Amino acid sequence: MPPVLPFRRTRSAVSPYRRARPDALNFEDLLRPQVEYLYRLAWRFTGSVADAEDLVQDVLIKLFPRTQELLEIEKLRPWLARVLYNQFVDSVRRQARSPIVELATAAEGDDNPLDTLPTTRDGPEEQAERSGWRERILRALDRLNAEQRAVVTMHDVEGYSLEELETMLETPLGTLKSRLHRARQRLRALLPMEPFSAGERVKG
Amino acid sequence: MECSEFAMRLDDLLDGGLDALQRKSVQEHLERCPDCRHQHEQALAVLESVRKLSPPAMHPGFIDQALSRATRPAAGGARSKWRPIVGMGLAASLVLGVALGVFLATQPEPVHAVALTIDRPETVRLMFNSAKPLKAATLSLALPENVELVGYSGRRELSWQTDLREGGNLMQLPLVVRGATKDDLVASLSHGGSSKMFRLKIEVAGSSGM
Repeated sequence: MPPVLPFRRTRSAVSPYRRARPDALNFEDLLRPQVEYLYRLAWRFTGSVADAEDLVQDVLIKLFPRTQELLEIEKLRPWLARVLYNQFVDSVRRQARSPIVELATAAEGDDNPLDTLPTTRDGPEEQAERSGWRERILRALDRLNAEQRAVVTMHDVEGYSLEELETMLETPLGTLKSRLHRARQRLRALLPMEPFSAGERVKG
Repeated sequence: MECSEFAMRLDDLLDGGLDALQRKSVQEHLERCPDCRHQHEQALAVLESVRKLSPPAMHPGFIDQALSRATRPAAGGARSKWRPIVGMGLAASLVLGVALGVFLATQPEPVHAVALTIDRPETVRLMFNSAKPLKAATLSLALPENVELVGYSGRRELSWQTDLREGGNLMQLPLVVRGATKDDLVASLSHGGSSKMFRLKIEVAGSSGM
């Protein structure tokens, strides 16, 4: 359950008219502008369009019964990011018990045949799109664990400070720092040494 | 400053978390240490690349359908996963990784679910990832009651011999559900005495209300 206090407005700040509207209308008004953001975050967490859409769908289904509570959230985006993160981590833990993920995690070893596959999760369109530097970065991100990937996404990409994440994710600052350190270190180790801005120079 | 201290300060440097004095000390170290300079440049380049990575577009219609499923639990509650429908030229996707050497004779378990609407054909796509080319693998399909493969009405068991290429192999199954179903669809792939079985749970989303 996300912490409510840092994000909540006072109950009286929500107009009675708004409270009285059907939940479905309020939910749509609140969430429709956020779906794209949630999807972007979910894709960075999962690396797959289908998984990202499933994750967002799961979050929306989970949140609809909490529409009245959502009305009181002042800073909806970080609050939603936290819900998405929790759902992501939960789903990774659940999937860790399925045979499919067994295959994927078996690919951790350096000599695992799955490592040579162009992709393990996306369809042909995505495979074709994944080329050059993009492919290399996605593969490197795939090698991070869920928490490392999430902290890189939320801190390095989305720009949340570690102090903000400490509150949002209810995770000690020291733990976040060490996750971020290990994630960055691993990315540097997995990616080739040449500057990545050279990605666009490959063809020329 | 020594290289070990620089390594400890690198994250703070990247995050702009150093005070003026520390920054000066780091800059001086970078000017005289090519290894750390290279490490710093690489760290910046990796960060920049990760930031520039843009997500592919969502499937068309995803936002409307996802909101609709969330707010109409009677129509969409059972269908917790969003899957594009065939009318949009898209299909339910399921990606299964298969690699030689990891064929396991494990007890089959339900691994995934797709939701189908009664009497509406939808294509379920299964992606088999093979680590090596496989000649004459046998692919078998056992359909549960009330689930048909379009074009094979009345057939509950089908099998094909097929070559799998290295990497992704996409199998498209145009399925239509005719009524309530309780068993799983079972797809099995066998080659050279090894086999792998996948179970797919078919959920019935109802005959109307989509």
